[in-house]
Amino acid sequence: MATVCARIRIVVAAIALVLIAAMAAPVAAQQPTSVDPNAAAVKEQQLLQQFKRVQGLGSIPDTKSYVIEQPQGRDWRQYHEVTLPAVGTVAMLGMIVLLAIFFIVRGMVRIRSGRSGVDIVRFNAFERFVHWMTATCFVLMALTGLNITFGRTALLPVLGPDAFSSWSLIAKYIHNFLSFPFTLGVILIFFMWVGGNLPDRTDLKWLVQGGGILGRSEPAAYRFNAGQKIIYWIVVLAGAAVAVTGYLLMFPFYGTTIAGMQLAQMIHGTVAVLFVAIMIAHAYIGTIGMEGAFEAMGSGTVDLNWAKEHHSLWLEEQQAGSGAGGMRPHPAATPAE
Amino acid sequence: MLIRRTERQARRGAFSADQTSERGLDRRSFLRRSGLAGGLAGLGALSLGAVRKAKAGPPPPAGAQVTIRKSICTHCSVGCTVTAEVANGVWIGQEPSWDSPINRGSHCAKGAAVRELVSGERRLKYPMKMANGQWTRISWDQAIKEIGDKMLDIRAKSGGDSVYWLGSAKMTNEGSYLFRKLGAFWGTNNTDHQARICHSTTVTGVANTWGYGAMTNSYTDIRNAKTQIIMGGNPAEAHPVSLQHLLEGAELNKANVVVIDPRLTRTAAHATEYVRLRPGTDIPVLYGMMWHIVQNGWEDKEFIKQRVYGFDDLRKEIEKWPPAEVERVSGVPGEQLKRVAQMFATQKPATLIWCMGQTQHTVGTANVRASCIALLLTGNVGAPGTGANIFRGHDNVQGATDVGLDIVTLPFYYGLTEAAWKHWSRVWQVDYDFLLNRFVDKKIMETSGIPLTRWFDAVLLPKDQVAQKDNVRAMFVQGHASNSITRIPESMKGLAKLDLLVVADPHPTTWASLSVEAGRKDGTYLLPAATQFECKGSRVASNRALQWGEQIVKPIFEAKDDLEIMYLVAKKLGFADQMFKNIKVDNNLPEAEDILREMNRGSWSTGYCGQSPERLKSHMAHQADFDMITQRAAGGPNKGDYYGLPWPCWGSPEVKHPGTPLLYNTNLAVMDGGGCFRARFGVERNGVNMLAEGSYPKDSEIKDGYPEFNYAVLKKLGWDGDLTPDELATIQKIGGAKPETVSWSTDLSGGIQRVALKHGCVPYGNAKARMNAFGLPDPIPVHREPIYSPRIDLIAKYPTLPDAKQFRLPNIGFSVQKAAVDKGIAKKFPLIFSSGRLVEYEGGGEETRSNKWLAELQQDMFVEINPADANERGIRDGGWVIVTGAENGSKAKVKALVTERVGKGVVWMPFHFGGWYEGKDLRANYPAGADPIVLGESANTITTYGYDPATGMQEPKVTLCQVQAA
Amino acid sequence: MARMKFLCDADRCIECNACVTACKNENEVPWGINRRRVVTLNDGKPGERSVSMACMHCTDAPCAAVCPVNCFYTTADAVVLHSKDLCIGCGYCFYACPFGAPQYPRVGNFGSRGKMDKCTYCSGGPEADNSPLQYAKYGADRLSQGKLPLCAEMCSTKSLLAGDGDIIAQIYKDRVAQRGYGSGAWGWQTAYRETIAT
Repeated sequence: MATVCARIRIVVAAIALVLIAAMAAPVAAQQPTSVDPNAAAVKEQQLLQQFKRVQGLGSIPDTKSYVIEQPQGRDWRQYHEVTLPAVGTVAMLGMIVLLAIFFIVRGMVRIRSGRSGVDIVRFNAFERFVHWMTATCFVLMALTGLNITFGRTALLPVLGPDAFSSWSLIAKYIHNFLSFPFTLGVILIFFMWVGGNLPDRTDLKWLVQGGGILGRSEPAAYRFNAGQKIIYWIVVLAGAAVAVTGYLLMFPFYGTTIAGMQLAQMIHGTVAVLFVAIMIAHAYIGTIGMEGAFEAMGSGTVDLNWAKEHHSLWLEEQQAGSGAGGMRPHPAATPAE
Repeated sequence: MLIRRTERQARRGAFSADQTSERGLDRRSFLRRSGLAGGLAGLGALSLGAVRKAKAGPPPPAGAQVTIRKSICTHCSVGCTVTAEVANGVWIGQEPSWDSPINRGSHCAKGAAVRELVSGERRLKYPMKMANGQWTRISWDQAIKEIGDKMLDIRAKSGGDSVYWLGSAKMTNEGSYLFRKLGAFWGTNNTDHQARICHSTTVTGVANTWGYGAMTNSYTDIRNAKTQIIMGGNPAEAHPVSLQHLLEGAELNKANVVVIDPRLTRTAAHATEYVRLRPGTDIPVLYGMMWHIVQNGWEDKEFIKQRVYGFDDLRKEIEKWPPAEVERVSGVPGEQLKRVAQMFATQKPATLIWCMGQTQHTVGTANVRASCIALLLTGNVGAPGTGANIFRGHDNVQGATDVGLDIVTLPFYYGLTEAAWKHWSRVWQVDYDFLLNRFVDKKIMETSGIPLTRWFDAVLLPKDQVAQKDNVRAMFVQGHASNSITRIPESMKGLAKLDLLVVADPHPTTWASLSVEAGRKDGTYLLPAATQFECKGSRVASNRALQWGEQIVKPIFEAKDDLEIMYLVAKKLGFADQMFKNIKVDNNLPEAEDILREMNRGSWSTGYCGQSPERLKSHMAHQADFDMITQRAAGGPNKGDYYGLPWPCWGSPEVKHPGTPLLYNTNLAVMDGGGCFRARFGVERNGVNMLAEGSYPKDSEIKDGYPEFNYAVLKKLGWDGDLTPDELATIQKIGGAKPETVSWSTDLSGGIQRVALKHGCVPYGNAKARMNAFGLPDPIPVHREPIYSPRIDLIAKYPTLPDAKQFRLPNIGFSVQKAAVDKGIAKKFPLIFSSGRLVEYEGGGEETRSNKWLAELQQDMFVEINPADANERGIRDGGWVIVTGAENGSKAKVKALVTERVGKGVVWMPFHFGGWYEGKDLRANYPAGADPIVLGESANTITTYGYDPATGMQEPKVTLCQVQAA
Repeated sequence: MARMKFLCDADRCIECNACVTACKNENEVPWGINRRRVVTLNDGKPGERSVSMACMHCTDAPCAAVCPVNCFYTTADAVVLHSKDLCIGCGYCFYACPFGAPQYPRVGNFGSRGKMDKCTYCSGGPEADNSPLQYAKYGADRLSQGKLPLCAEMCSTKSLLAGDGDIIAQIYKDRVAQRGYGSGAWGWQTAYRETIAT
């Protein structure tokens, strides 16, 4: 007798019963008063063909235990074993290869007019803190997350089962716990910078000109150019996606079923590896890809000429709004690392 | 570490079914373990090898010796052997009991979890007393002294009948017997146990039909049936291991399995035909079947002519039940009944299986009688595959009934007459006058006691309505739930009024929690009794077979063996020396074997005389020798015996009667377990011969019916010369001036039985079974609507019996029924309320709800309600609902289980829950740490008035209620 | 070489839960962890059937395939076991398992999964056979003693069969032939990529 506690009547089961009743109908028609419970017995193959899984009622409160068979775990296995590693490898390695080629061909994007020796504040301390908190979490979660997908192939043979399991257990806790500051960071980033990241007319031009990286002249841009806006929205949206799906996996069966969790894991994994690939590009452009870019998040200030070349409209705003406020000369220009 | 993996695989090596290496399985034991043995006709006879001594489960402490001890599962009447592994006095594991010819290794959820019972997490650990509203720990000495003093005080003022001794079917047979003896030596017939509320109506109905109140065949014999009708029983949940025999038998014989029940039970799920009837209409349905049988001439005319009395009287009643009337009353269509009737009458052998669906009614005895009559009509009694297979409830409820832990009789159905008391005074070797003086007077000594169903009425009713010296003032309860008794709101008042309440039980039970709720602040004692796995002794399964259980571990904490508790009480009350005259007592613990020997010496009437402890122990030690289907030993030291020496096992142990696996079976010689219907109701009535005609057990020297044997009959037959001088001397000593009257049941020498057997005769005579059981309230069963019936249109035609005085109390069922109609109860409470069993729990459920492995599987009390009724009331599945009852404004808060298992207009609740009362959680009322894991509302909070006139059976199967969303 | 399997004959299963408590008893499985469970289909209606389900010890087990730390292994008897020392409680085997077998004790913060627990076919884990350590982590080791899982051995109606796949398939076939109906070897197609032709 099934307890009544927390019972879920899933549509699947309801339909099954209707169908079974329908199948039993001819028998009932011959002998109107007859009920032969054996003859009407449910059959596994019927249920599986119709509903892809077999679900009934149990008496323990754990309603998920009422599903006795769900062969679709095999699909998920295919994703986890084949699809995700393939997508991840192509995306991440592909990105690194592309960037390497780009670097070789184009080299570092220099400040054309050289350093002015005058800095202008681009990101205040709070903004930088949020950025780096999120970035640190991201890197650690990326590494620990990739460990789940690639560790068994890449690390296990090197470390051996015991060390690898110990590391993986720590990695799991790192991944789970850092999700909280990471999620907070994504939320803050969203509110902090959403004003500067709404699309406008300049973006189109910027995009048409390919961001000026390849051309001679730099398209005009406000505080964030179209490329940065794209990164921003990727961080916000992909961050939200991995956060939501991640929490669904961390708190099993809160609002999800097995199928839901399988889907959540597929979204989480796919988005995460693509996210990582894009963040590699972001890291590239923020460091060795462009002179003067890193200091924006490093010290929080950029060289006036850098600002002129990359964010001319923003610079105009800054200068119009606050006079020379925020700008200060510094004795020796340090090249961006 | 994983490094060990390859090593491990290599070590284990190939594990093949055909391999006979020491580590692997030999083919035979493998097949057995795979569930094959006996599962198929051809392989059913695989003999089972010696039990494997290896162990699993928690590894024993280093160096500890692991011993195997066998006992019997306490959770139903199938009689499954429990095989325990014990190391250092700790029960460390359970193994399948492959050699048992009853359960063949199997268990149900309860049997597979019994080891938990002796780990004791929720047990009552030491004696407790309610003092100023607080549970207080006391010593055994103090408890026994205070209880005894209070009892003696009550006895002095109100007489012995004011103490009610409520015993248990959970005790061993020896315990149950001793408890009855305790009542007799205290001086009262107010001694009862669970049979009152489960199969008292069966015992009365069946015994009044053909002689003995017990299952005629056995669980394993059902394998022989071609048609199994299960009417009013759900063995898939109540007796799961029996389903092994029912289902396998049905598969092998391609048998018809018909379930007639208001619920589409888990048993019905495996039936070939399910018949839904309105609760309480068993008699119309059975008559409806009989109408078709008689109409089509399917009755067994030869059988009726030879072995049945009263068919013409029956025919008149059958004629009142044509298909239209049956359908009007019960809702069962005529065509379906015709088909079932045809199977039952023509596809033989057919058996009728029932349980509490038939018995727990105000018409319980009549239901059972109608079932017996249907069997007689079709000749389905007294042969393999036939019979009244009555599934009893507890492991020893058949035994406790047999040993007379009952209000209407002394042990072994001798009754309460002066002759009965004299018989037992001879067996007990005490003066009859001593016993007489223990009672208030001779009249009350020979008057049936008060049924346990009405203990609170006996407390609460005005003194002049209780036909004994005074009201009941003290309850001594040893192993009986309070929440399995109907009308809990009334019983609360009784609890409040009692002067003394003693509960001896492994758990505090609902007696404790409800008594606190009722306001008791003093005069309540809880004594920790051991479970039966901590005691030894015999148990009688439903098939009348006795099995000896060993003590698996010593009683834990301060718990004491039932026998020891009784001894301590008897000693305090001052009659231990007399009571234990022939029983060895070691350190306050009476020896079970000695008690059984005393039973053997006095139990001639029922054939418990041949089952000596030595024979029973030998059976347990050599279980593998017994065949699963016939239950007979083909070899070994017990060769020829039937497993457990099912009673009647005639004569002294030395006679070596093999036991009687099937009652009334004329196809076998008496010394092979054959028999015939008992001559219990005279030899002639109104000129009609009551003895059998032309039917007799195989090899009988008397080729016709004959009366029961006594010395006079022996003389008449010229067989008195076969008596030995010693036997004759005993007969003459017993008979005194009238030795002729000494009978097969009172001859303590066993000589009369021995001589009868020698001539191939059954000591109790050879008579007809009665379709007309004159002497019962309804000699021919008559349909009577339940007290609270939804069909008020039928009450005028089928009213309950008039009010009467029964068992020292008034039974005002008629007035209650009439008042219910007048007050329009059926309008206010339109749903039929019924109750029943869950597989995980047993009885009142405190023991099983305290077992963590079982409690996890059923955590909430619920009510089953049909989707149509639920929709009308806005009730959703899993939601809380309030069930209100027709009396006392009773209510219960439970969860709804919306299911088509119950028909429209019917709701159903399991009866195992307790510890809540009318929406309130009573967990705080239990002594700390002894509260069951799972608590819930008791179904009996809702149940109402209604008592069978023949036995005092309560009515928990049909009443009225209303349900609303909470 | 024996290939151990489970087979639940749903036409015999009466949902008595003996398999569940036998498992709890033999392996001292704590409250809330259900290595085996019984589920009823079509509850309360004609055609109701119950199926006892636990780890089926699949051929090419999905749990083993997806485990990030490779803690599963398959014994010579084709029993799928795992090492709790290696398990990190990630939950992946639960996503992959077609039978809902893996169970996780709740440990510490926010319902985080502890070491996975599941049916061992009563054959313990990587520790020494029948050692106290093995018992504490995985429960009983019956197979090494020539005994089959207690759930099947104690089944009330001999519905749940355990043993070599060929033998129990034959038992089931014979039963279906004898009685004339059979609702199928539940889970076999999914677990073993085969069915029993009846």
